Amino acid sequence: MAQRAVWLISHEPGTPLCGTVRFSRRYPTVEKRARVFNGASYVPIPEDGPFLKALLFELRLLDDDKDFVESRDSCSRINKTSIYGLLIGGEELWPVVAFLKNDIIYACVPLVEQTLSPRPPLISVSGVSQGFEFLFGIQDFLYSGQKNDSELNTKLSQLPDLLLQACPFGTLLDANLKNSLDNTNFASVTQPQKQPAWKTGTYKGKPQVSISITEKVKSMQYDKQGIADTWQVVGTVTCKCDLEGIMPNVTISLNLPTNGSPLQDILVHPCVTSLDSAILTSSSIDAMDDSAFSGPYKFPLTPPLESFNLCYYTSQVPVPPILGFYQMKEEEVQLRITINLKLHESVKNNFEFCEAHIPFYNRGPITHLEYKTSFGQLEVFREKSLLIWIIGQKFPKSMEISLSGTVTFGAKSHEKQPFDPICIGETAYLKLHFRILDYTLTGCYADQHSVQVFASGKPKISAHRKLISSDYYIWNSKAPAPVTYGSLLLLDLSFLQSPLPQLKKKQLHFKGIPIPEA
Amino acid sequence: MGPLSRDAWAQRLGAFRASPSAFMAGPEGEDLGRDLLGDLRSEKLSEQTKVSLLALSLEYPAQLWPDVSAAEVAATSLLDTLVLLPPRPSALRRPLLLAATTALAAGGALGPTSGASCRLLPLLLGLAAGSDLGRGFVPASEQRPLQATACECLRELESCKPGLLGGSLGLLRGLLGQEGPVQPLSLLLALALRNTLVLQSRVGAGLGGLLTDKVSPTGGGPWDWTLVEEGDGRLQPQAPSWPAAEEGEGERSLTAREHSPEEARELRAAVIQLLDTSYLLTPVAQAQLLWLLGWALRGLQGQPPALFKPQLVRLLGTAQLTLLHAVLALKAAFGEALFTAQDEALLLRRLTLAAQHPALPPPTHLFYLHCLLSFPENWPLGPEGEEAAPLLLGPQLCRGLLPSLLHDPMALLARLHLLCLLCAEDEEEEKGHLPSPRHYLEELLAGLRQRAALDEGPRALATVCFQASYLVTRCLAGQPTVLTPLIHGLAQLYRVRPMLASHFVDFLDQVDSELREPLKVVLRQEVVSRPGRDEALCWHLKMLAKVADGDAQSATLNFLQAAAAHCMNWDLQQGLLRVCRALLRAGVRGGLVDLLQVLARQLEDPDGRDHARLYYILLAHLAGPKLGVALGPSLAPPALASSLVAENQGFVAALMVQEAPALVRLSVGSHGVKGPLPVLKLQPEALEPIYSLELRFRVEGQLYAPLQAVHVPCLCPGRPARPLLLPLQPRCPAPARLDVHALYTTSTGLTCHAHLPPLFVNFADLFLPFPKPPEGAGLGFFEELWDSCLPEGAESCVWCPLGPQGLEGLVSHHLEPFVVVAQPPTSYYVAIHLPPNSKLLLRLEAALADGVPVALRTDDWAVLPLAGDYLRGLAAAL
Repeated sequence: MAQRAVWLISHEPGTPLCGTVRFSRRYPTVEKRARVFNGASYVPIPEDGPFLKALLFELRLLDDDKDFVESRDSCSRINKTSIYGLLIGGEELWPVVAFLKNDIIYACVPLVEQTLSPRPPLISVSGVSQGFEFLFGIQDFLYSGQKNDSELNTKLSQLPDLLLQACPFGTLLDANLKNSLDNTNFASVTQPQKQPAWKTGTYKGKPQVSISITEKVKSMQYDKQGIADTWQVVGTVTCKCDLEGIMPNVTISLNLPTNGSPLQDILVHPCVTSLDSAILTSSSIDAMDDSAFSGPYKFPLTPPLESFNLCYYTSQVPVPPILGFYQMKEEEVQLRITINLKLHESVKNNFEFCEAHIPFYNRGPITHLEYKTSFGQLEVFREKSLLIWIIGQKFPKSMEISLSGTVTFGAKSHEKQPFDPICIGETAYLKLHFRILDYTLTGCYADQHSVQVFASGKPKISAHRKLISSDYYIWNSKAPAPVTYGSLLLLDLSFLQSPLPQLKKKQLHFKGIPIPEA
Repeated sequence: MGPLSRDAWAQRLGAFRASPSAFMAGPEGEDLGRDLLGDLRSEKLSEQTKVSLLALSLEYPAQLWPDVSAAEVAATSLLDTLVLLPPRPSALRRPLLLAATTALAAGGALGPTSGASCRLLPLLLGLAAGSDLGRGFVPASEQRPLQATACECLRELESCKPGLLGGSLGLLRGLLGQEGPVQPLSLLLALALRNTLVLQSRVGAGLGGLLTDKVSPTGGGPWDWTLVEEGDGRLQPQAPSWPAAEEGEGERSLTAREHSPEEARELRAAVIQLLDTSYLLTPVAQAQLLWLLGWALRGLQGQPPALFKPQLVRLLGTAQLTLLHAVLALKAAFGEALFTAQDEALLLRRLTLAAQHPALPPPTHLFYLHCLLSFPENWPLGPEGEEAAPLLLGPQLCRGLLPSLLHDPMALLARLHLLCLLCAEDEEEEKGHLPSPRHYLEELLAGLRQRAALDEGPRALATVCFQASYLVTRCLAGQPTVLTPLIHGLAQLYRVRPMLASHFVDFLDQVDSELREPLKVVLRQEVVSRPGRDEALCWHLKMLAKVADGDAQSATLNFLQAAAAHCMNWDLQQGLLRVCRALLRAGVRGGLVDLLQVLARQLEDPDGRDHARLYYILLAHLAGPKLGVALGPSLAPPALASSLVAENQGFVAALMVQEAPALVRLSVGSHGVKGPLPVLKLQPEALEPIYSLELRFRVEGQLYAPLQAVHVPCLCPGRPARPLLLPLQPRCPAPARLDVHALYTTSTGLTCHAHLPPLFVNFADLFLPFPKPPEGAGLGFFEELWDSCLPEGAESCVWCPLGPQGLEGLVSHHLEPFVVVAQPPTSYYVAIHLPPNSKLLLRLEAALADGVPVALRTDDWAVLPLAGDYLRGLAAAL
């Protein structure tokens, strides 16, 4: 269970090599073991130059996508994981764990402790998950907090020293590189009793606990017969526990109001010491009923020093916060669009911002626009073929707003107008972007009573909530749209003969469809 | 050279890292390792620079110190540098320990005879134990970090030399119980324990008191290498891949030894101790611990896997990739012993959930999806090693894992695979309200094709469409309800975007004939049903070269004829010729002759005309099978990746005569005497079927007139062949050597030339009888001949030894056809005609028991020695 080498490569399209190796680290003792374990199938770790070239080719990040290349484009070369075989000097280096994120390619080669021919199944190679965790750890370190280039460079320059702590011999000791940073900075803490390896020091100061719940809501709305609209809430609970003592025991509870939507698919931070089986088993895979576990969700834990994601969850709320329809029709030279948005009455009508982005893909620049809107204002980005309808902080009293108009486009020029493989012809969407502070769709909250601390001193508790839209699409109902299997599944008119699930009842009610008596 | 400045080093390290091999080949390469070791002690360099030097040595020890002795020297020097550090906190101690460890382990120097090893190991163990090493060796503030580092170094050395710490188990366990740093000690103890268990079981020994002896193994004395030596230096997989572990199991169970109750108790206590504190480890370290302990305890008697149970719920709740992966490893190691059917179901649900959880990054989803399809089931049904949906993963569970067009290519393909597996199981039945997965699959493929058809779409969109189609054909072969729409969909895609021809060609190459043949037909129709003059002509020609065959000849030829007029440039002409070539191979003749003639005249490009003419000539002159071979793929891989070169090499192979080892053997058969000329009877024998065999003979020394070649239509091994008669026309009556060459065609159509071993024509092979004189006139005829020999000729007398059969036997065996006068058993007169016009006369009379005196005369004195040798040799030949 070790890594033979790790690389960070910046992807630079348009440059001759299309990328630069920003960081690399090899582990020769692991390499020596690889040579023995792999035997005749051993392929050595290449130098940075050849590796860069082979990886960019495999990931299709070179600019020469024009021609068919069998070793990359053949239909039988199917890759279903982020783990690749790279052809280097006639030999195939495998397994290479690699992914691209924010224009940086993260890559490493885990040790396989056996011969590579035949290839063992990935699931049986222990170094693969470690490799991923290693790369995720580096990614978190590079992108936590800031984004600009000079800060990124500073962090990259810190990496050699950090890896000397976190991964001195190729076997990862801690994926949280910030711990290693603290270790190098304050190495002189004397630690008497058992100190967790993930907690590098102790906190001194006023006890305080901060909990923030961020819910993202995504939706796919079609406004079509035979295809159900879908929406889902994804919650992240972030905590920072500033508590004295080496291992303070804390229990954090999340609560739901009586009509709240149960939390499902809960994944917890490893510092959570035990888990109620109801939490473990509540899952979106099952059809939901009223007996679903609705909290309180208790998480006993020993917190690390830094801020951490206590848990993630999903939830199926009965209605989407904003229901809309979008109709777009091609009329000779112009497009006619009609949009209706309705905020559900149960949702807090106080946005930090709310806007609808209406992109027109695979067309030329907008040359002419006529429109009428019942609310808000429209911004036009002609070159980008994009309209942004700024709705603002509040929906009007009616909770319903509309926009209609016609758009005319000029000739297409490839550089400026966006290409999209899905929005072909009249297939189109609008995307909602909004944020509501101090609100969650599920109703999930934490308060003063949510935190139990088994340590001296009563901590100050602060709790925050917010709801953000994410991937909130409303598709043109007058054209085909990409659907998921779930959309086909939910709405089947044969349900009219069967007792209605509660969820659908609410949904129909919301859409103004009369509900037959069950 | 004095110490380099900081900048000089930075520059040098930069140059090295840019390309280590180039740097080492350059002028500075040789000294780098030595300079580095020297400058570590320089007082002019900052600690920061020295750390960067050490960092380099951690990564490239093999380049800096390429052999064992250099590695030993380097490690010694690094240890010296460490000892010489002044007793104040320094950033160098840690990297120096790491560097010395790396140099020894990577350089292969670690061993009982290495002085550096014998210094490093006790030092590390002392540091790990937190002992006082004297003289302020470790400043108090560094004690804790160095203790952890020493553990890491020991763990690396143990990984490279299993058994190294077998004697320190008790000590490590004691340290873990006290105040040692939990994580490094836990991991070190787990690894050493695992290796010791494996090594001891191999030699049939138990743990003994290893887990309880708390004394340092060195005890001031030399390090104990016995366990390492027992292990034979073989590396132990710390977390073996599963199939490998299965294989190793047989070996292990043979030597597995039951531990005594005492040993088993201690072992269990140690494992529980490790597991109980495991939550203090970072998640990645916890995962390592679980892999190590899981595989260490697997199959050990008295060590119930239930020990792991208290950890499982906690682990299942997390989203950590390494932790869930480790749980899967435990599942694979223990199966039902640790996971009941309900546990298995729960684990599957957690995996399913994790494979689609929006909070996790896409690479994690994909890995979990892989884990689902390779899930180590308690009772697997399918064939081993193939991805399959576990039994408990029903359609309900999979719902959220099905693909949609909105997924990126990898997720789409991974999920599509799952969908295909569901469709394969679905067996046509419609389940309640669920939309049929098969219908969904069809829609999805249609969507993919629609994207691939986009004019400006990147190639990746087409690639994923074909990959998806390929995946579907692989998983759902033999299901016409899926394949038929797929074929038509693809044909439609070609109609819309012929520039994807390369993808189609590749796809046709990869799929089974079940799909290939019908797809070829519809694609050919797509191509030939349109006028061959649009801008996509080059793609059509490419496509047609792949799909054209003997069917629908006239449509294809019409298309080509129409296209020929538009093939203005070299590319198109070559494309056109490629189709002609494909048709030639498919055995199309009729209309193709006309087309080729037209092309040979019309094409603008001389190369194209030449090719057309060549094809025409081939078509006109070669029979079908030979043509097939001539145009078939070249046997030898072409040196250049050019189709022309490849094609040319194909011709060369097929149309030129190949030198080959002889596939035919010839032997000289029994002597026959008929007709006016001596005839050699040859018996051919073939080692492989060969055709059109031509045997060519050449007489050395022009003793005979040139020989006619002999032709054999066909020779097959095992089938008796008729003897071949080779008439000889001697120019003088002498034996000769014949050089033999064979020219033949193999069953693959190649023409081969081989040199056979020479054949020898013996003196006796030239003997011909004189015409038979009338009855009773024999003696007179002989006397006449006898007298005619002198005076030009020669006379002699030879003693011819006789075998047990006596004179009668000798004559009947060798000379029968030539006897003119016989008075058996005492007297024989023999007259032999030696072409072209010599005679040899023998009188064999008054035989004794052991021989007969032979009086001989000949009209050609040159024959005399040959005759003498011949007669003397007869007895031996009897």
